[in-house]
Amino acid sequence: MRQRLPDRMEDFILMLVSSIEELESRALERIAAARTAEELEAARVEAIGRKGRLDQLFKEMGKLAPEERKSAGQRLNAAKQRLESAIQARQGEFASAALGARLDAEWLDLTLPAPGPRRGHLHPITLIQRELEELFVSLGFAVLDGPEVETEYRNFDALNIPADHPARDAQDTFWLGGGNLLRTHTSPVQVRGMEALGPPLRMIAPGRVFRNESVDASHEHTFYQIEGMMIDRQVSVAHLIYFMKQMLTAVFQREVVVRLRPGFFPFVEPGFELDIRCLLCGGSGCPVCKQSGWVEQLGCGLVHPRVLRMSGIDPEEWNGFAFGLGLTRLAMMRYGIDDIRWLQSGDLRFLEQF
Amino acid sequence: MKFSYNWIRELVEDLDYAPGPLEHLITMKTAECEGIEATGALLDRACAARVESVESIPHSHNVKAVVDAGRYGVHTVVCGAPNCRVGLITAYVPVGSKVIDGVESQGMLASAAELGINRDHTGVLELEGRAAVPPGAPLPGCVPDSVIEIDNKSITHRPDLWGHHGMAREVAAILGRKLKDPVRAGILPPGPGAIQISIEDYALCPRYSALVFEGVATRPSPLWLQYRLTAIGLNPISNIVDMTNFVMAELAQPMHAFDADLLAGDTIFIRPARAGERLRALNGEEYTLTPANLVIADASGPIALAGVIGGAATSISEKTRRVVLESANFNAPSIRRTSAALKLRTDASIRFEKAQDPANTVRGLARALDLLNEVSPGIRVVGGVADQMKAIPTAPLIDLPLDWLESKLGRAVETAEVRRILESLEFGVSETAQRRFSVRVPSWRATKDVSIKEDLVEEVGRMVGYDTITPQAPLFPSVAPPPNEGRKFQHEARQIFIDLGFTEVYKYSFISEESALAFGYDPAGHVRVGNPIASDQALMRTSLLPGIRHTILENAKHRDAFRVFEIGMEIHAQPEGLPVEAPHLAAAIYDRYGDGAAGLFELKRAAECLMPGAQTCPAEAAPYEHPARAARILWKGETVGRLFELHPTLMESGRAAILDLDLRPVQAHWTADIRYAPIRRYPSSAFDLSVIAGLRELAGDLEAKMASLAGPLVESIEFVRQYAGPPLAEGTKSVSFRLTAGSPERTLSSDEVGEIRARIIEGMRRLGYELRV
Repeated sequence: MRQRLPDRMEDFILMLVSSIEELESRALERIAAARTAEELEAARVEAIGRKGRLDQLFKEMGKLAPEERKSAGQRLNAAKQRLESAIQARQGEFASAALGARLDAEWLDLTLPAPGPRRGHLHPITLIQRELEELFVSLGFAVLDGPEVETEYRNFDALNIPADHPARDAQDTFWLGGGNLLRTHTSPVQVRGMEALGPPLRMIAPGRVFRNESVDASHEHTFYQIEGMMIDRQVSVAHLIYFMKQMLTAVFQREVVVRLRPGFFPFVEPGFELDIRCLLCGGSGCPVCKQSGWVEQLGCGLVHPRVLRMSGIDPEEWNGFAFGLGLTRLAMMRYGIDDIRWLQSGDLRFLEQF
Repeated sequence: MKFSYNWIRELVEDLDYAPGPLEHLITMKTAECEGIEATGALLDRACAARVESVESIPHSHNVKAVVDAGRYGVHTVVCGAPNCRVGLITAYVPVGSKVIDGVESQGMLASAAELGINRDHTGVLELEGRAAVPPGAPLPGCVPDSVIEIDNKSITHRPDLWGHHGMAREVAAILGRKLKDPVRAGILPPGPGAIQISIEDYALCPRYSALVFEGVATRPSPLWLQYRLTAIGLNPISNIVDMTNFVMAELAQPMHAFDADLLAGDTIFIRPARAGERLRALNGEEYTLTPANLVIADASGPIALAGVIGGAATSISEKTRRVVLESANFNAPSIRRTSAALKLRTDASIRFEKAQDPANTVRGLARALDLLNEVSPGIRVVGGVADQMKAIPTAPLIDLPLDWLESKLGRAVETAEVRRILESLEFGVSETAQRRFSVRVPSWRATKDVSIKEDLVEEVGRMVGYDTITPQAPLFPSVAPPPNEGRKFQHEARQIFIDLGFTEVYKYSFISEESALAFGYDPAGHVRVGNPIASDQALMRTSLLPGIRHTILENAKHRDAFRVFEIGMEIHAQPEGLPVEAPHLAAAIYDRYGDGAAGLFELKRAAECLMPGAQTCPAEAAPYEHPARAARILWKGETVGRLFELHPTLMESGRAAILDLDLRPVQAHWTADIRYAPIRRYPSSAFDLSVIAGLRELAGDLEAKMASLAGPLVESIEFVRQYAGPPLAEGTKSVSFRLTAGSPERTLSSDEVGEIRARIIEGMRRLGYELRV
């Protein structure tokens, strides 16, 4: 259908301008009023879509003189841009509302427990043992192993504890026959270390040991020790004390005060018992240190020349120190465990605390 | 060993240290003290008193007695002792007033046990018949004492410290005081002994000394002697026996008294027992002897087990008039063996097994003579000391360079100081060169204790005090220690398992026959403990599984589901030599509910985390394994362990999946040699194939068959899913795999991929499988 032409071109231009203004304001109203993306799209199609109202006005422009067409075109384009940006703004609103709604639907209760098993727990003795292994390796000590079943020779004789020596009383032994026994201490690994590596030697040997004792809250027939040995050319008691302090300071994670007093172990001469000032009461006396202010930690000493000689080392050329301490006891002190039997119980209520 | 503080004080001049500080010094310089106990606390107030009158109290077993306590006054006391009678001289203690049975008792009458004098608590102490003690006088020789207990282990090497004189010597040396010698050697009569001694083997009995007495009157010892022995834990018996115990406790020289009139013949033989000889000992037991046991014998047979215990037949009694007093020295290992074999440890054997000083026997007799004159008035020595010995070896000389001594202590020591210390301990010191001593060891330290210069480091070190040594870092070259791959691996394995939720347990190395049998292990194949702590802990474990099962059953009492593992040694008997110790890892997943499949696959995953590429191959089940759920674990071509469900009959509830790995091969294959391979630049193509197979055909087998047909361009074959049910025929399943093909040199064309696919399909069909394509 053809539109009626105005009589005068000027009137026509005026009509066109007012149509643009009217169209723009109506379209803006619809855009603003759109409640859904679909309504917005319908408004867009009607206003600026192909064959939309703006498009029709463009077509009307063909009737204008070139110079007037230019100015009308500018008006039309400006109106179109304004509508487009209004639509874009509303489209953005709807898109972000839609994303928000989708994400909201994905709400999760993160206070629910995580599925799957929890991390397991290392045995307290493993924890202490690993700590000491790392410490001594950093000090240049090798970590050595020895069997749990030993020969009577390595467990006793080679450590200067011959048969019928009263010192054997201190170590109630499980005998297996054939001259074999369950090692009563980790000290036989000293012998193995000297035999295998020779001097100079720095070694430790953590491991399981056995004593034929009835089990109660503070006694076990199966427990853990760590043995240490250093053989070099001029090893003194002063060196021994130095390493013991290093070790105990690392274990207890604070400066410890140590004292040495005479102790008898046939494989060292001189031999010592090493005490530390009670960490609980600081030396003033408490039940843990039996009111003495000191807690016995370990046995140590300078390696007996006979032990060196039995392992093929010349005691005039080499000497050294050795020490042995109870890992089980240490673990009990560190974690405040009051009953030794928990350690081999396999009871998860205990083990899961570490 | 218990030491009386008063006794030590008698032997050290001017000992002005209280028991507490003294105990500390002994601990720091000599031997470990286990504590101090006060004894005889009432004795500081106790005095003799005469019972003047006794009156019964109505409705009470107690009596009301009036006693005259001399200068402490006359008091009324309530007493329950049956021996409380008029005229009795007893012990009165003013402990304050107290109303008993309606009567005000002003103090108490005390029994010997209450006073600490002996263990008699049947009545109040009776002072009649002994040296008269006037009312009000203190009990003679009885004052409160402190008993210092020394840890026996810490004096194992010190024969001399098993007597008060030895400990007094230490105290004197520590404090710089003078030691008193209680022995007056000069009082022994000269001349030949009144009895013959025949030692068959001087190696077993280096010395035997004896003295014969007559005019013996056996009776209770004086109070002071009873009190001394009681304080240190010995039981007073009679004056003669108590005297021998006193000398033992003072000089560390055990003694024995025989009733001389009950001996057959005039010779004492020291010889090995003849096989089957018997001896009834003082403890009432009869022992059947072997030639390994040294005996003291007379003409008729054994009269004592040498160094261990006397015989009952020749023991001292009230009838004894003549005594043979033995003071001998025996070979330490021999005494120890006899004592161990007969399970008979006595105060004598404990001392002799420490290697006593043979020079001490005659000193013991001299001390005994002195004491017998006091405790058995009227006693007379017959003849001189009978003394048989081989030559006592002269004390060894030790060359002691003082610079060497300093290098061992890590501390400077003055020449004069070393001399002073050694001489205070009665070592002989002579300076052979500048800063060099020749040291003679005293006989009581020379039997076993001190023989080399290292022993002297201890003597000097402990006396200067180890607290005077400054800790010092050594100046040795820093060398990286050799690695311990086994331990590194085990720690890594532990880490993997705890990360997967397993908690580490430690279990005993002992198992019972019953649990071995439960697992189908032959008890006879185990290393057996000769002296087990209990009969159910007699076998050394050849598997960690009984311990793991125990862990499962115990924890199932508290939990519905859990994961545990242990790394420990299996101990396998060998025909000879040491057993083989095989480190194993045993892990278990327990679930009270469910069909058990999940646990097995979780454990398989754990195995693959530890051993990437490990395979499970179905295997015949062991008796303790679920017969349809057992597999070998294969890694890098080697069987390294088993994955299985524990046989349901071994469970009380739920199911347990178990992984048991021999860590030796695992560790051997574990150290991976990592080499980088360039990343492929050409894309691969994937396609799926579904194979129809019997329900119990193994997916792993199907995969292996496809792999054998695949050719070099197939990069991977992965299981996708399996399905059984309609429309598949009953008894069959469809197993789907995703195959990926590619080349490092080019992109494969779709024709090439199609060819590979067709080849596999064709090959599988030839093997009898239908494929859903």
